[in-house]
Amino acid sequence: MKSEVMVGNKAVAYAVKLARANLIAAYPVTPQTTIVEYLSEFVANGELPAEFVNVEGEITAQLVCMAGSIAGARAFTATSGPGLVYMHDTLHGTARYRCPVVMAVVNRSLRTMQPDHTDLMAQRDTGWIHLYCENNQEVLDTGIMAYRIAEDERIRLPVAFALDGYVLSYTAEPVEIPDQDVVDKFLPPYKSFYPVLPENFDAELEKYKKHWSEGRGINDSFTPFAADESFSHLTMANWGKGHDIQWRWKWHQETMMNAKQVIKEVDMEYGKLFGRSYGGLLEEYRCEDAVAAVVAMGTIASTARAAIDKLRNDGKPVGLIKLKSFRPFPIEEFQRIGRSVKAIGVIDRSISLGEGGVVFGSIRSAVYDLPERPLVLGYYAGLSGKEVRVRDIEQIAERTLKAASGEKVDSLAKWI
Amino acid sequence: MALMEIRFHGRGGQGAVTAVRILASAAHLEGRYTQAIPMYGTERRGAPVVAFCRIGDTRIKERDLVHEPDAVVVLDPLLGKTVNVTEGLKEGGLVLINHPGTYEETGLAGSFKVATIDATKIALETLGRPITNTAILGAFAKVSGIPRLESLQEAIRNELPGAIAESNIAATRRAFEEVSQPIDASGLTKVESKRRVAPKPLISYSKEVSDWRVFRPAINKEACTGCMRCWIYCPETAIDVTSEKAEIDYDYCKGCGICFEECKVGAIKFEKEEAGTS
Repeated sequence: MKSEVMVGNKAVAYAVKLARANLIAAYPVTPQTTIVEYLSEFVANGELPAEFVNVEGEITAQLVCMAGSIAGARAFTATSGPGLVYMHDTLHGTARYRCPVVMAVVNRSLRTMQPDHTDLMAQRDTGWIHLYCENNQEVLDTGIMAYRIAEDERIRLPVAFALDGYVLSYTAEPVEIPDQDVVDKFLPPYKSFYPVLPENFDAELEKYKKHWSEGRGINDSFTPFAADESFSHLTMANWGKGHDIQWRWKWHQETMMNAKQVIKEVDMEYGKLFGRSYGGLLEEYRCEDAVAAVVAMGTIASTARAAIDKLRNDGKPVGLIKLKSFRPFPIEEFQRIGRSVKAIGVIDRSISLGEGGVVFGSIRSAVYDLPERPLVLGYYAGLSGKEVRVRDIEQIAERTLKAASGEKVDSLAKWI
Repeated sequence: MALMEIRFHGRGGQGAVTAVRILASAAHLEGRYTQAIPMYGTERRGAPVVAFCRIGDTRIKERDLVHEPDAVVVLDPLLGKTVNVTEGLKEGGLVLINHPGTYEETGLAGSFKVATIDATKIALETLGRPITNTAILGAFAKVSGIPRLESLQEAIRNELPGAIAESNIAATRRAFEEVSQPIDASGLTKVESKRRVAPKPLISYSKEVSDWRVFRPAINKEACTGCMRCWIYCPETAIDVTSEKAEIDYDYCKGCGICFEECKVGAIKFEKEEAGTS
């Protein structure tokens, strides 16, 4: 294992290389561009034996990954801000066809070139797993874990992992690069459920020939995987047979909920092999005996650690919850935390205009069923790339702590 | 060591971003945790830029910019005249400035230490170009003790290709030897930084850029044929040819040298500015 000072985008490229992705299709967009550059270099100099597909835009990038993934390729793409929004429609397809594509999202605001989470939050309901990272080491580790989570046969869903643009993408810091042979042990080769050349190809071909030789036509139902219920999402073979047309959504929701367990398991196993784990869906930092907790995602969570350290040194009972998995959302974990703290201050780096903070709303919803609910306060910070300083988070934590001790706060959601 | 935070002031093209990268890598070679943060905006050669470096013994949690640095490194002698380079500097902190003159001539004063190095001269003599980043890192290694010169040289070899690395290492070594002793700056006379306002605005968005220059183009009117080639290529639209011969508006000339490169009749000279003349 060696250690190198590298920018976040290079950590992404290393993760992709170590995961032995063999299909890369991405279109450059600031601040994601250097990921594409690093990867094309790896492919060009033979370090990464992969098909690098030059595409004319993000929609094609996603479609190439989706189709390649069905055919059996371990696919990777990366994008930012407007590129991600342009890709939106195809994201739904990748998820519903259960393609374990992994995508790095270098967060870029939809209002400036600077980072906030509005780009990935706009993909909230596409059925992808969303993981957020706080430093470049976590970026590399998450990139590798993402394939293991995505390809788990219990779920088979695409994963997007996010790093804040500029703050991580172009900031260099030491990153440990795991050994390839250990990564290979952790991440076995990908096997598609529906490869171009399945093992039973010859037998299926015989059946297919028979189908035609018996005089049956194209309108008679035939699929080489007729017995496989879940394959019907590709062929639509079972349409009109009394199926509930909502079943895809139902299946997807159940699978997403099951993904929580998979993410936790993968994170634990990664920790055992590489000595670093990230708490699964979320990490509680200095939450022991905390009266109040601050919730943050991405790099704000990192800065928040420094703020919480300061407050704890002053004897203030406040902790941090680093939310890593936004989708699936750790409802049970927040309910457990909600039982032990009096107030939760949620920092949103995005906003659902017309309602408010997205994470704020999800946490309020999660704790609603508790017999004794904690106070949940919202904070907007870092939108359009506005700098979030240690003192900003100290202010957030102290205000939340005051509210926990019964002091009245002027508003439920506050702009920092 | 406690967390050390350093702010670099430079101009686009002087390599401030590479400087923080090399510094972070060098300190990491000594087992430290580091962060190298560039401040990206709309990049433009010659425009004032900042970059930051943090060095500590544990993984650094802070992800905001550096507002109260322990040390400030200034890559350009004239920057201090337009940018308040000591803003937020901690009491007793250190300023290392690329300056050919005396401590007094830097115009910096306050409760901090100041050291000077003529990094532009060293860069021109070792690299042949006024890229002052590696030279100033050698000086920084001497005055701050971080990192060791050998680590710095190894980091440069990792960052830059072969022959270029070697000439940069030579620059580093020379600056390490030539940097002045840091002195207490409280007795010096402060020159307030201010942005000069150009007497006549050229185009609506243009700003006075004369203090960006390290080199200065000069037109030989005898040799100029008025072909307008320099006028076409000048990125700052600082050249006027209405009088049949090219004329440079020095308020808007940033000294990029493109006119000198493009002139086909050799009518443009390109010579080093004397510090403080523009």
